[in-house]
Amino acid sequence: MSKACLVDLTKCIACRACQVACKEWNELEAEHTEFFGAPGGYQNPPALSSRTFTLIRFVEMTDNHGKLKWAFARSGCMHCQDPACASACPVGALRKTDEGPVVYDDTKCFGCRYCMMACPFDVPTFQWDSPIPLIRKCTFCADRQRGDVAITSVNDRPLSEESLARHRDSDRTPACVKACSTGTLKFGERGELLAEARNRMAAEPDKYIDHIYGEQEVGGTSWMYISNVPFDQLGFPTTLGKRSYPSYISPAMKAIPAVVTGLGLLLSGVYWVANRKAKAAKSAQKESEQT
Amino acid sequence: MRHEPLRARFVTPGSVVLVLLMVAGVVVAIVRYARGLGAVTNLSDTYPWGLWIAFDDLCGVALAAGAFTMAALVYIFGGEKYHAFVRPAVLTGFLGYVFVAIALLVDLGQPWRIWHPIVMWHKDSAMFQVSWCVMLYMAVVALQFAPAVFERLGWRQLHELWRALVPAFSVVALSFFTFIMSHSAIWTVVVFGVFAVLALAVPRLFASRAGVPIMLIMAGVILSTMHQSSLGSLFLLMPNKLHHLWWTPILPINFFLSAVAAGFAIVIFEATLSAKSFGRSPESELLAGLGRALCYALWICLVVRLADVMIRGQLAAAFSSGKGLIFLIDVVVGLMVPALILSSARARESMTSLFTAATLAVVGLVFNRLSVALLGMTMPGKVGYFPSIGEFIITIAIVSALVLLFTLSAKIFPVFTREEQEAFGLPGAASQAAGNR
Ligand code: SF4
Ligand code: SF4
Repeated sequence: MSKACLVDLTKCIACRACQVACKEWNELEAEHTEFFGAPGGYQNPPALSSRTFTLIRFVEMTDNHGKLKWAFARSGCMHCQDPACASACPVGALRKTDEGPVVYDDTKCFGCRYCMMACPFDVPTFQWDSPIPLIRKCTFCADRQRGDVAITSVNDRPLSEESLARHRDSDRTPACVKACSTGTLKFGERGELLAEARNRMAAEPDKYIDHIYGEQEVGGTSWMYISNVPFDQLGFPTTLGKRSYPSYISPAMKAIPAVVTGLGLLLSGVYWVANRKAKAAKSAQKESEQT
Repeated sequence: MRHEPLRARFVTPGSVVLVLLMVAGVVVAIVRYARGLGAVTNLSDTYPWGLWIAFDDLCGVALAAGAFTMAALVYIFGGEKYHAFVRPAVLTGFLGYVFVAIALLVDLGQPWRIWHPIVMWHKDSAMFQVSWCVMLYMAVVALQFAPAVFERLGWRQLHELWRALVPAFSVVALSFFTFIMSHSAIWTVVVFGVFAVLALAVPRLFASRAGVPIMLIMAGVILSTMHQSSLGSLFLLMPNKLHHLWWTPILPINFFLSAVAAGFAIVIFEATLSAKSFGRSPESELLAGLGRALCYALWICLVVRLADVMIRGQLAAAFSSGKGLIFLIDVVVGLMVPALILSSARARESMTSLFTAATLAVVGLVFNRLSVALLGMTMPGKVGYFPSIGEFIITIAIVSALVLLFTLSAKIFPVFTREEQEAFGLPGAASQAAGNR
C-alpha cells in the first residue's frame, strides 16, 4: 500500500508551520525576499525554489460583500502515481517508490532539467547559483518514512517497546504533517484518505467543492486536496486531464525496435531497386553502344 | 574522382575574428563554471530551457541532417551523381554534433557527469534515447569520415581493417541500441538477425558498389532517423505547455520530416554560399536536382503539418491567437514559400531563387525549433525569458569554432573532390590563383 497525504484547505489558517518544518527538516537555507513583494502580499517567498519545497500561497479574492478575502493553497510536489518527471529523467535519478514518495538520487542527476520541463505541476527547481547544481524538490520525507531517523534511545537509555511504538508513528510522519496544528494535512494510506475525503464532503456538501484534486489528475497523485474554493481560482492547473503524462510519450518509445527493423528492411529494399535500375541503365547503355 | 585537401592559407583576417569570438565564449564559460548557470544566463525555474537547448541543440542536430540525407540519397536511393556533396555534408554533420556536444557541456548542470547515460539506463526517457543516438551516430559519422583521414595519412592497412570491421560494427551498434531502448531480448535478437542477414546479403545479392560500406550508411541513416525524431519525442511530455498547434502525437515524425528538408536545404545553402563567395558558378544541374528533393521534402512536411493540425481541430487557433501568428510564420515562411518557389523548374535552375528558397528553409527550420522549445510554450507564472548576453556569446563562440574547424578540416583533409572544389568554386581548384598571390 502506498502512503499519501490529504490536504483539507478549508482548515488551513496559513500559519506556515509546515513551510518552516520543511525547511528545518531538509536543512534549507533562508531566502532573501521582500515582504509584500509577492503577489498576494503576505505570501512569502513568491514561488517554490531550490530553498523552498513547501509553500503556502495566499490567494486574494473578493467575498460576497465585495471585501478582500484570503484563500490559502499549497504548492509542492504532488508525488504523482505515474510521474512525468521520472519518465523524463534520462539517468533514472527520479523514481516513484512503492511506498508513495517520488525520490531523487543526487548521485545520478547531471542537470539536464528535463524533469522541470516535464512536470505538469512545475515542481522541480534547480540550484541556479551553484557551480555543482542539483534538482531540488519535496521528497515526501522519504527518509523519515523509511524509518532512517527512528529514535531508539533517549539519553543512552533504550526505549521501552511501548515508547518505541509511539515514536515509530511519529518519526515516520512527514515533517510538514507533524507540524500542522489544524489538521489540514493528514498522512495515511491513499485509499483510506480518499474514503475520508468523501466522508467529509458528504457530511458538509455545502461547504466543499465536489472534487478531490489529485484523485484522478494526471492518473492520480499521492497528495490530494479538498477545498471550499474552486481549484482553478486557487491557482491549481485544472486542464491537465486524467491521463498519466508518461502515457503521452510511451507509444513513441515503444515503437523504437519496430521502427529500427522496419527501416532496415525498407532501406535495403530501396537499395535493391535502385541497384537494379542502375544496372539496367548500364546494360542498356552498353547495348546502345554496341549497336 | 579523388578527394583533395583545399590549398589555401590557414591564417586569414576572418579566422582571427573567429578566434576572438571564441575567446569571449571561453571567458563567459569560465564564469559559468565558477558561479553557476544563474550567473550568466536568464534561465529560471520557470524557463529551465532556453536559447542553448532551442538553438544550439535542437537546431544544431537538425542542421547536421545533411550528412544522413545526402548519404541516403547517394548510397541508398541511387543518386550517385550527387556523390560530390557527401563528404562536405558529412563533415558539416560531424561538426554539427560537436556543436551540440559543446553546448551540452555548457548547458548541463554537471557536465562532468555527461557520461552517466552510458551506465545509467532509463529506457522510458526520450532524453536517454537522445543521448545514445548522439553517441552512436557520432561514432558512425566519425567512421564515415575516417577514410578521408586514412587517405591523407596514407594508412592503407587501417583503411583495410576499417572496411572489414565496419559492417559488423553497424550490426552490433543497431542491436545494442535496440536492447537498451527496449530491454527486450526478443527484439534484440530480431534486430541482430535482420541486420546480420542484410550485412551478409546486401553486398552479394545486390551487386555491391566497391568501397561503399552500405551497412554503415544504413546504420547512420537509421540512427539519424531515431535521433531527429527523438528530439520531437522530448516534447510529447509537455501537452500542457506546448500549444497544440505544435504538440501532436506525431511530433517525432514532424521533427524527422523537417530535418530531412533541412538536410537538403543546408547542403544547397552551403554549396551556393561557398560558390558565391569565390565568384564561381556551381554545378547548377546538380543543385537543381537537390532543389527538387528539397521541394518534395518541404511539401511533405507542409501537408503532414497542416493535415495533422486540421484533423486535431486546431486550425482555428492558427488565426486567433499570438501563438497562431507564430505558427503561421513557421508554416508559411519556413515551408510554404520555399516549397512554392522550388515547385517551378525555372526557379530551381536559377541560383538566386534556389539560394533564397534554401535559406528560407534553413531559417524556417530554426524558427520551427525555436517555436517548439520556446515561442510556442506557455509557461506558468509571470516570469518571462529572453536570452542573456552570456547565452548569446556562448552560442556565437561555438558557431565560430565550427566555422573555423570546417575550413581547417577542409584545408587539412581531402573533403572536396577536385571536380567538387570546382563545383563549389572553392580555392583548391583555383590553386593556381592562390599560388600566384
Ligand atoms: S508533481 Fe512533478 S515533480 Fe512531483 S512527482 Fe509529479 S511530476 Fe514529479
Ligand atoms: S535534471 Fe537531473 S533529475 Fe532532472 S531529468 Fe535531468 S538528470 Fe534527471
